[in-house]
Amino acid sequence: MNVKWLIRSQSIVTLAAGMIYPYYLLFLKNLGNSYSKYGLAFAVFTISSAAVSQWIAPRLDRQGIQILVLSSVGMMLAMLAFPWVTSYLWVIFLQVVMGSCSAMQKMSERLLLADHTESGARGTIIGSFHFWTSVSSGFAVILGGYLIDWLSINALFYTSALLYGFSAWAVWRTRIANPVTGE
Amino acid sequence: MKKGVTLFLLVALCFVNYRILDTRDQDPFLITDYSRLHPVKVERVVEGKEEEQLLHIIKEARDKNLTVSIAGQRHSQGGHTFYKDGIVVDMTHYKKIISFDPAAKIIRVQAGATWKDIQDTVNPYGLSVKIMQSQNIFTVGGSISINAHGRDIRNGSLIKSVESFRLLNTNGEIIQVSRTENADLFPLVLGGYGLFGIILDVTLTLTEDEIYRMTSDAMTVDEYSKYFLNQVKSNKDIHMHYARISVAPDRFLTDMYAINYTVDKAVPLNEHNALKATEDWVIPTKLLFHFNRSFSWGKNMFWDLQTRFFSTQQNTVISRNNAMRSESEFMEYRGVGKNDLLQEYFIPVDQFADFVHHFKTILQQENMNLLNITVRYVNQDEEATLSYAKEDMFALVCLFNVPLTDQEQQAFKKGIQQIIDEAIRHRGTYYLPYVAYPSLEQFQAVYPRYGEFFEKKDQYDPEHLFMNYFYEQYKGG
Repeated sequence: MNVKWLIRSQSIVTLAAGMIYPYYLLFLKNLGNSYSKYGLAFAVFTISSAAVSQWIAPRLDRQGIQILVLSSVGMMLAMLAFPWVTSYLWVIFLQVVMGSCSAMQKMSERLLLADHTESGARGTIIGSFHFWTSVSSGFAVILGGYLIDWLSINALFYTSALLYGFSAWAVWRTRIANPVTGE
Repeated sequence: MKKGVTLFLLVALCFVNYRILDTRDQDPFLITDYSRLHPVKVERVVEGKEEEQLLHIIKEARDKNLTVSIAGQRHSQGGHTFYKDGIVVDMTHYKKIISFDPAAKIIRVQAGATWKDIQDTVNPYGLSVKIMQSQNIFTVGGSISINAHGRDIRNGSLIKSVESFRLLNTNGEIIQVSRTENADLFPLVLGGYGLFGIILDVTLTLTEDEIYRMTSDAMTVDEYSKYFLNQVKSNKDIHMHYARISVAPDRFLTDMYAINYTVDKAVPLNEHNALKATEDWVIPTKLLFHFNRSFSWGKNMFWDLQTRFFSTQQNTVISRNNAMRSESEFMEYRGVGKNDLLQEYFIPVDQFADFVHHFKTILQQENMNLLNITVRYVNQDEEATLSYAKEDMFALVCLFNVPLTDQEQQAFKKGIQQIIDEAIRHRGTYYLPYVAYPSLEQFQAVYPRYGEFFEKKDQYDPEHLFMNYFYEQYKGG
């Protein structure tokens, strides 16, 4: 089965996510004066992720691809919004958005991987998927460091938004090519 | 195969990165200051939080024969804020506003409070800081220790706005210092680079916030002194002023533009005094400044763009508090093995043009990468023992991009010493918070009261509890 399109689009997602993640943690830490406040922001992320998963669950089988596209669009908007955040409440709000997107991305990615593989022949494909997404993350995080040093953390947020937008488009294009299987 | 090549590429990239980043200025386990030069191991860095705790640190340092260095934002660049194997007291968390009396226009703050903290407190009451640097990120304690100056041309240097402060001295006593109490210490601690004790809190006098109209004028270096005396200094309504000299190769050290802030009482303050919280256009301006740093065409482009920008800003209305929180983010620089370092020369008004001509020759001969020169005006003020304003002077604040290797530093030092010789020849002085490039002889020529300063240091702190590299490099004898 052909899952190259999934691996490619999700490698772009990990490129976008891997680029931002470690620096995003630093950014959040600088917002609060305490680790407890920092912890709270992450708790909100997990709560929204858990809650949204239950809303997605009954729709996942039918609308996997749409949900995957939506997660990338949501992350793109969150990345565009971060540089303009001026209060902790906004951070909490964006954590809610990002928690929801994370649930959508993780669940639809797993579904599509399962849908496009067969029991007994999944190992190689899952291995490939993990390899390419991890390697993308590695390149991204090195690039991210240089981008912040050269420009600013905001430039990193914008670049990440661009990549999320691109991954949404890549998945959407596949869906148009074959609305049923996505291939 | 494809996977193997990709993984190899990633590993190779990490390896190359490790080699590039393996320089002394990037060592996270050593302490240095903004310059990233001469990093050393210290005993520990302690965040100052409570008076009791600070007393305890002094006692511990005395008992264990350790030295104490005092740090604010660590923007001093000559090792003023740390010393090998000593304790570094980081005062940036000791930052409460202790009291504020709007009617008397007086504020008392802990030494780690920044100018921004003060501006945020006093702005709603229509008040403003009298003298500070052009950016508001610095701590009050640090600014006092370097006797800072800024764009205000009517209020002198920072020492003028300081009423009193409390000092934690080498014996672990807290004493009040003002022009009447322990008065001997007042001119020593102000511009004393942390050698006489820990400044705990400071009482400052404030002034009215007001509305300015910003205007800009273009002129040449030769015309500037006359322009300043006839059109700026003599116009009592101009309260703030600064100028820039072109570093663009096409107009190298010939063209200038000046920005004046003229009081406009007709505009109501409350319509324009909301404090600006964020910096605009950081990404494009930072990119442009990178070009300015790296290429000749970048310098030409940056100069053209800034002169064009300021000509579109004629008559812009701005509150004093907003004018005193100038942008800084776009100049942040984290180049590995290289850094942007400041140097500052004070030149008497009548000597300005001639000094700049000689300065230009040295810069060209020594091939120094100068990124920006801002000119401010400081009134004569000799109250501080290590005073730089021996007469009414222009301060030339020069930002250089410099490689940090020992060899390149030696070459740069040679150039800086030639510039200081020229400054001295023009009855000028240089500023002490920056890297210790000037020779001991140059320091002694520029600061003739050095003997008195160090004698008093020995008298007030005979065991040299408070220690830094400024003392070590310039004590002499």
